[in-house]
Amino acid sequence: MELTDADLIARVLVDDDQHAFGELVRRHQSSVRGLLRQLTRGDVALADDLAQDAFVRSYKNIRNFRGEAKFSTWLYRIAYNCFREDARKRKELVGINEEQWQAEQDPQTVDPGLRHDLMHALSLLPLHERSAVLLCCQNGLSHDEASRVLEIPLGTVKTNVLRGREKLKKTLAAWAQ
Amino acid sequence: MNGEIQDDWLDRKLQEAAPYIEDDGFTARVLRQLPAPARRVEFLRPLILVGMSALASALTYVLSDGGRFVLVEMFRLTAIPTVWVVVFALASGMLIMAGGIFVAMYKANQIQS
Repeated sequence: MELTDADLIARVLVDDDQHAFGELVRRHQSSVRGLLRQLTRGDVALADDLAQDAFVRSYKNIRNFRGEAKFSTWLYRIAYNCFREDARKRKELVGINEEQWQAEQDPQTVDPGLRHDLMHALSLLPLHERSAVLLCCQNGLSHDEASRVLEIPLGTVKTNVLRGREKLKKTLAAWAQ
Repeated sequence: MNGEIQDDWLDRKLQEAAPYIEDDGFTARVLRQLPAPARRVEFLRPLILVGMSALASALTYVLSDGGRFVLVEMFRLTAIPTVWVVVFALASGMLIMAGGIFVAMYKANQIQS
């Protein structure tokens, strides 16, 4: 029987079990790294550094996880804070590394042209709309969960998702034919 | 699509554009950066418990004039009628049994839920 996230967290808390924490990292690394790659507009190296930092921070602060939200939501929040702190330092000087971005994507699932346009459209969104769209539309978080991750009011999340979606639809209108 | 992009379509394409990222040593790198686990002082807790118990016993012995009150109470107990001793023993047994049953039922409920 596979252990749940809660079981693994309990092992980390009680026994300081780093193998259990490793399993948590293995489970969530893809979504956390994916989110950060999109937030950093495809800067894979930076995104992975931030993801590493986020996981290390989550280990150090795991006693503060109260289980009110899902572990993944809590992780997204830490990852988003890491990104925000870094962006503040860099003043959002993160460039669009689209070549590397495209190489990282799976060519089987989405039309490469559409993917290119989608990623480009996403990268053009302002950060607050991009974050809300990524969390809610791509990572499947509820508006409430996204508002916890982004630490903004629920209504603002809904507005940002709505505006972000509308902008994406407008940019991708040609693909609707 | 009637020339108009639907929310479902957009969400699906966004999800498809974010494929699974292989671990490729990422977890190992994170684990290497974790602080060393705190050394657990396993023997400390029983040591404190035993030490405190010994200290409390010693204090009681000294403060009660070498435990004289125990002797006094023992003599007083011998004066109790046998019937009372039997009643007391039965009542204690039943009380402990009831407590045991209650705890067992509580634990069984906990496991079921």
